Amino acid sequence: MSNEAVLHGVASSHDAHGDHHHEHHHHETFISKYVFSMDHKMIAKQFLITGMVWAVIGGLMSVLFRLQLGYPDQSFPWLEDLLGKWWAEKGHITAQGYYALVTTHGTVLVFFVLTAGLSGTFANFLIPLQVGARDMASPFMNMLSYWFFFAASIVMLSSIFVETGPFSGGWTAYPPLSALGDASPGSKTGMDLWLVAMALFVVSSLLGGLNYIATILNMRTKGMSMTRLPLTIWALFFTAVLGVLSFPVLLSGFILLIFDRNFGTSFYLSDIFVNGVGALPNEGGSAILFQHLFWFLGHPEVYIILLPAMGMVSEILSVNARKPIFGYMAMIGSLFAIAILAFLVWAHHMFVTGLNPFLGSIFVLLTLLIAVPSAIKVFNWLTTLWRGNIRFTPAMMFAIGFVSLFISGGLTGIWLGNSALDIHLHDTYFVIAHFHIVMGVASMFGMFAGVYHWYPKMYGRYLNNTLGYIHFWITMIGAYLIFWPMHYEGLAGMPRRYYDYSIWESFKNFVELNRFISTVAMIVFAVQILFLLNFFYSIWKGRKVTSQNPWGSNTLEWTAPIHPGHGNWPGEIPEVHRWAYDYGKDGREFIPQTEAVGADESHH
Amino acid sequence: MSTATTATTKWWNGGKSPFNVEYGKLMMWYFLMSDAFTFGAFLISYGTIRFSTNGWPDPNVVFQSYPLKSATSGPAPLVFVSIMTFILIISSVTMVQAVKAGHEMKKNKVVMNLIWTIIGGAAFLSCQAWEWNHLHHEGAWWGHNPFLNSDLTQSSTNFTNYFFTITGFHGFHVFSGVIINIVMLIMTLNNSFEKRGHYLMIEKAGLYWHFVDLVWVFVFTCFYLI
Amino acid sequence: MEQSEVIHIEHHQNKNEVRNVTIVLSVLTIVELILGFLMMDMAHGSTARLATKITIIVLMLAKAYYIVGYFMHLKHEIRNLIMTIVVPLLLFVWFITAFLYEGNSFRNLRNTYDPHFKEQQFIKKQPTEHSNKQEHKEGDHEEKKVME
Repeated sequence: MSNEAVLHGVASSHDAHGDHHHEHHHHETFISKYVFSMDHKMIAKQFLITGMVWAVIGGLMSVLFRLQLGYPDQSFPWLEDLLGKWWAEKGHITAQGYYALVTTHGTVLVFFVLTAGLSGTFANFLIPLQVGARDMASPFMNMLSYWFFFAASIVMLSSIFVETGPFSGGWTAYPPLSALGDASPGSKTGMDLWLVAMALFVVSSLLGGLNYIATILNMRTKGMSMTRLPLTIWALFFTAVLGVLSFPVLLSGFILLIFDRNFGTSFYLSDIFVNGVGALPNEGGSAILFQHLFWFLGHPEVYIILLPAMGMVSEILSVNARKPIFGYMAMIGSLFAIAILAFLVWAHHMFVTGLNPFLGSIFVLLTLLIAVPSAIKVFNWLTTLWRGNIRFTPAMMFAIGFVSLFISGGLTGIWLGNSALDIHLHDTYFVIAHFHIVMGVASMFGMFAGVYHWYPKMYGRYLNNTLGYIHFWITMIGAYLIFWPMHYEGLAGMPRRYYDYSIWESFKNFVELNRFISTVAMIVFAVQILFLLNFFYSIWKGRKVTSQNPWGSNTLEWTAPIHPGHGNWPGEIPEVHRWAYDYGKDGREFIPQTEAVGADESHH
Repeated sequence: MSTATTATTKWWNGGKSPFNVEYGKLMMWYFLMSDAFTFGAFLISYGTIRFSTNGWPDPNVVFQSYPLKSATSGPAPLVFVSIMTFILIISSVTMVQAVKAGHEMKKNKVVMNLIWTIIGGAAFLSCQAWEWNHLHHEGAWWGHNPFLNSDLTQSSTNFTNYFFTITGFHGFHVFSGVIINIVMLIMTLNNSFEKRGHYLMIEKAGLYWHFVDLVWVFVFTCFYLI
Repeated sequence: MEQSEVIHIEHHQNKNEVRNVTIVLSVLTIVELILGFLMMDMAHGSTARLATKITIIVLMLAKAYYIVGYFMHLKHEIRNLIMTIVVPLLLFVWFITAFLYEGNSFRNLRNTYDPHFKEQQFIKKQPTEHSNKQEHKEGDHEEKKVME
């Protein structure tokens, strides 16, 4: 009896909620619509635009330190006017400024752009629309997730302006540089702010991740079984799982680090002598412990960045090749395998730290296993394209570009996964080239593909195609021109994070090459500004979307109105009868998921 | 109560929950998973440091006092902490009773059991406060370890560092659990759940409380027993 | 049946179950405590002590099982929900193995290459009263410096 009451209670309260969405009679103020919005679509746009701001800041930082690497002996007086003495004394990027730039570039791009900006945007935007829900499971927590991210952004941004500079010990924040304020200028207030920002970020990602998981599992529309979900949702689901399970480990590591910094503990400290201070009393800790804790997050983090891109690319490739995705179940299986393996391979970032070699060899084995699901995915993408009736929209171009970059960058991963080769290659430009191609640029391409593809759904207008093609080709060619030569530099032993290579006899011959890389990097950065112009111009002036389903796509988001209100569908939520990939079936170009399966329909 | 009810209802205005739970409970479960990894990381890093250190203090020498112990009486290892453990187990049992009473819509029983749970939590916190205070008086704190290893060699400060960090983090969880339970109590007294027609909120608070108990099982074993 | 779904919610939980689980938990705790007392007389580093510790860990896991399964009601949830909770917990196996193995290896490394670290384990200290520990500690540091 009471159980019935419980169920009816829940059900009726949710019905009331649903009715509330149907009516839309309440007036939304500017604050409730654009600022403290609880609509997942608006929160997605907030994440996207904040992510874009960070991408510009992070990208600009890379331009600045590339300027130093490309032109180490030239002086640019305007730099001092622009940035001040701390960063660019006498027109030179200072050494401390250089390390601050490198560190902040890494932190910002990895966490703020490619984690929050990528999965924050597309998980928020696509999950409710593609699973057929009115909103996230908890819109309020969703809003909090954005505002925690915003707070983290403010703190991180403010750390750039403190007197001793932002944290400058590398985005991985290894102790003792991160644990001892005396270690470097950036290890003082900058590091405190860095830790606060990251802690807020972890909270944000936890709130978001729980919401994504609960929504995907619990709020799917009728008929939307797990195996009918578009691959975007599967990818975002595994992304959220990775985040929920790995970020807390980072948080623990940070809490211990905070104690080391402020309360005289020695979790990570042992046998340290600081110049001008003397021997420290801290004994018994292990700096490698932090690296283990950090990379226990750090490696899943790589996949938190990559998986959403993979999911969106799968969807976009299938839609624009007008073919069903090849090996749908294999795609899910490989996503699952990647998610599991992501937790088992962290120490391959630490082969040369004094890690036990036997343990290292197990990590080599597990690492190389990742090649299997990755290869499955690559072959499935290629076979999806094979003999497809391909429409080369900008989104499709970026999706194909993603596959290209993922292959190029993934192959060097097999080199780096071997602990013996890693002795030579670790901390060289080979590593830089590897992870920028496979994780950085590839995920940016996935993000661009997503933006171009779902822009009509977000704003009801199209992005300019011509600018899109220019954006694609220059970014694509530029990415290869920037990072391909770095492989050679790395193989020649050029270490990363050095301030000036021209003073080293061994690396002098790379001065010209570095200058070339820097030049291309600036051109590519300029093209991203072009994309931003396209983006913001098109919000107000772009070509209007006139049909509900401009790409001829099967998924649910295209059954919603062109400008969906809060609640997404004006009437009942559509019911789903088939998987998302019935393209080119039975002589029909596409069959939306909402269409009932015909009596004489063939099996896929 | 052992009923199997078949209810015909519109769930989510569309599909249905595959796990037969509402999303809030699911979120609580996955939050606890996440929190388990936080505690897991703490305890595992404690284990790592302990494995990388020669020698470690004997818990039976360190934790051997209790309140109002006279100076003449001998060491009493494990006594005080077993009292703490039982307090937490009992408070978990009363929490189960509160959740169960919620299912049966028995408001008074919910109130009574919640009060007992809150008292249990507060008692546990008091015990912890006493123990911290006692250890602090012996000279133990973050960065200070007055105890020697079991083989009477100099001990690393990481023994006390980890002890205070992890029990502190657990104590913080107990504290927030008590606060949550107090909120639940106030809401119950205000008939909030009666009006909603269900006590699912208590169930979620219960999950959190049991998790706190669960973590103590691990903390207790890692620090006091082995 | 268009919009309606049949939902079963079953409550196996009964008074006996709570009582039984409480008893089991108490017994397990008492056994743990007894083992803890027995362990005090065993030599440090002996096999018996190690075996006792392993037994205590097994009992700890049993307690965790009863708390999660019955108090947190997981045993009575749908199998798929149980799987979504239990499968990620398996990650702890490698998490713990790798970390502890690495910790142990780090100690061996330091005992091999760090003479100061190694000799620390042979220098006995005087067990003192718990008062005035602080001063004693500072004294230690001075001793250490002299040795260096």
